[in-house]
Amino acid sequence: MKIVVAYKWAPNPQDADVAADGSVDLGRAKWAVSEYDPVALELARQLADATGGEVIGLTVGAAGIDTPLARKAALSRGLDRLVLVADDALDGADGTRVAAVLAAAVRGIGDVDVVLAGDSSVDVAAGQVALTLAGTLGWLGLAAVSAVRVADAGTAGLVVERELPAGTAVVSVPTPVVLAATADAVVPRVAGMKDILAAAKKPVEVLSLAELSVAEPGAVLTTLATAKPGGAERTARIFDGSDAAAAATELVGALRQSGAL
Amino acid sequence: MSSAAAEPDFDVIVVGGGPAGSVTAYLLAQQGLSVVLIERGEAPGAKNLSGGVLYGRVLDEVFPGFAQSAPVERRITRHVTTFLTGDSSVSLDYAGGPLAEPVNAVTVLRARFDPWLAERAEEAGVFLMPGVRVDSLLREDTPAGPQVVGVRAGDDELRARVVVAADGVNSFLARSIGLRPQPPTHHLAVGVKAVVSLPRTVIEDRFAVSGDQGAAHAIVGDCTLGIGGGGFLYTNTESLSVGVVLRLDDLVKHGRTAAEVFEHYLSHPVLEPYLRGGEIVEYGSHLVAEGGLEMLGQIVTGGMVVVGEAAGLTINSGLTVRGMDLAIGSAVAAAKGIGEAIAAQDVTATGLAAYRRHLDESFVVKDLRTYARAPKFLERPRMYGAYGELAAGLFRDVFRLDGSPRKHLAAVARDSFRRSAVSVRDLVSDGWAGVRAL
Ligand SMILES: Cc1cc2nc3c(=O)[nH]c(=O)nc-3n(C[C@H](O)[C@H](O)[C@H](O)COP(=O)(O)OP(=O)(O)OC[C@H]3O[C@@H](n4cnc5c(N)ncnc54)[C@H](O)[C@@H]3O)c2cc1C
Repeated sequence: MKIVVAYKWAPNPQDADVAADGSVDLGRAKWAVSEYDPVALELARQLADATGGEVIGLTVGAAGIDTPLARKAALSRGLDRLVLVADDALDGADGTRVAAVLAAAVRGIGDVDVVLAGDSSVDVAAGQVALTLAGTLGWLGLAAVSAVRVADAGTAGLVVERELPAGTAVVSVPTPVVLAATADAVVPRVAGMKDILAAAKKPVEVLSLAELSVAEPGAVLTTLATAKPGGAERTARIFDGSDAAAAATELVGALRQSGAL
Repeated sequence: MSSAAAEPDFDVIVVGGGPAGSVTAYLLAQQGLSVVLIERGEAPGAKNLSGGVLYGRVLDEVFPGFAQSAPVERRITRHVTTFLTGDSSVSLDYAGGPLAEPVNAVTVLRARFDPWLAERAEEAGVFLMPGVRVDSLLREDTPAGPQVVGVRAGDDELRARVVVAADGVNSFLARSIGLRPQPPTHHLAVGVKAVVSLPRTVIEDRFAVSGDQGAAHAIVGDCTLGIGGGGFLYTNTESLSVGVVLRLDDLVKHGRTAAEVFEHYLSHPVLEPYLRGGEIVEYGSHLVAEGGLEMLGQIVTGGMVVVGEAAGLTINSGLTVRGMDLAIGSAVAAAKGIGEAIAAQDVTATGLAAYRRHLDESFVVKDLRTYARAPKFLERPRMYGAYGELAAGLFRDVFRLDGSPRKHLAAVARDSFRRSAVSVRDLVSDGWAGVRAL
């Protein structure tokens, strides 16, 4: 089974400077594998180990995403090899364009059975790349995937669990398919020293954007304005702590009342 | 695994991607050795507090012209030393071209500077391994005595001919094998600092600098609420590094927290105008070893050397904290010593003693000797209270035209002494100690 994991090398929002007007400056942020993507990497590795398959990492972005550090960070998390499209023309590309480039790269890799991705990226978090990719490829696409395994002997395809608002659904899925994993589907491995040493020896293929001949985007997105998300409604009750026991009782009472306990 | 036969994975394992570790790794790779640099942060610099003033001469020897290519913030052309009382200040302001050429001191932000150093190491062939915390040392008994043969992190072991402990002030590695006893608290200070962002032009106006020039302010007196230590204020390109360094024992004695003192410092009427309108973009605190030569413990053992702050290499003169340049100086000495030991196929304590010899000959130990008395001198309590009052009293009388007849400066000074809590004997004694220590 040939599995591709589409992941993002992204700035970490924890390092962002947020100005009073709500604009976000990620200039000082350190880059890493986007927070939810290691879950997809782990799911892919487990699936491949169960089927004797191969896991190929795939990421696209500006030229700066191709550094030795970035390569090792991904390859040490259970990938067999890596395919990169690093071109400054992709700097700030929107989700539709990223999906189009990913689709071209997936076709280029060839014979792919499953593409796994995180549900959304840590910096943009629009959550549409995986399913746009499925659409572009003309494949089935499923979001909210919390588990995946091969179907029982004699049956083709995969068995996928989805965490939906109505409850958990277990579905039988034919391949090829694009799956977007929930943030807590599995606990991803932490790369050890041997993983990182091995990562440096794994093959990396850099595809040029020109070679992939991705059609120019039909529409270009223009951001007109941004605003801070409204703060969550909070009750903000303060308990008088002079009598600690009474305060604790009050607190427990309030938590019960609000349904938190 | 049978150990004697185990081939090392690398010639050298360097633990810690601060200035000491990155420069050691770089210089060893340049000698053609295979080197891995292990850093617990996701990227070098990620765990290191904001930065400060780097005395750049030694780095210029390693990377000629680094000030042009490295991410330095400003070249320091103005050094200001200020004695503070509750509501007044006296400053010595030294500004001049000679400070700028050749590069004497520059400000750096570690989040940018450390990755640059690590990249140079990587370019030279060092295997960079971020995101890994070394848990312990691998040790083996050999005919020559116990020898460090590698490191362990999680379930993995990595072996090398030599391990370099460049893991900073707490040096867990050096301590784990008894190389560095727990430092006494009067040899430890706690540093609290913040990076405050301000527009470039505002910084240039407030500090009277232009272009890539910058100012370094050292502040003693009321800023630390009488606790042994001092404050600093450095200009970066579009931010200020501002902080206090407090002697741990004195802080405890005064029953204050470092955060309280820092708050007081930031809102001090003399500091506030520099910081006004700025926004704190980074904040943190960190221990500093400030024991000078006394803190330099045993830095060589079989299969391992200790460099940088892990070796206790810092100088706190009361006016400046120096550590990065000493860290780099020790890296230069260690790379030489390790290279020689590996070439001679003797990485026992005897072979690696070459590092200690190179360090002793370098500016590092020479400067530590020069400042050997500084920690004791700075333990004198008058440094942080009464002198500020004295100096402020003196200058108040000189500058205040209140209609009374002007006195000669010497007479003014005498009057100030009488009013101040400092006796002439104290002054002579502290002055003498200061001259010898600083
Ligand atoms: C408030 C304050 C102000 C200062 N101001 C100045 C100044 O203006 N100028 C100056 O020259 N110096 C200054 N210093 C001192 C300076 O910061 C240090 O001397 C310098 O950072 C020492 O460099 P180093 O490489 O030895 O250690 P560090 O910079 O501390 O680097 C150690 C590295 O090792 C890593 N590490 C630690 N343990 C492990 C482990 N087990 N596994 C993997 N990695 C590990 C850490 O993450 C870190 O990156 C100041 C210090 C403080 C606290």
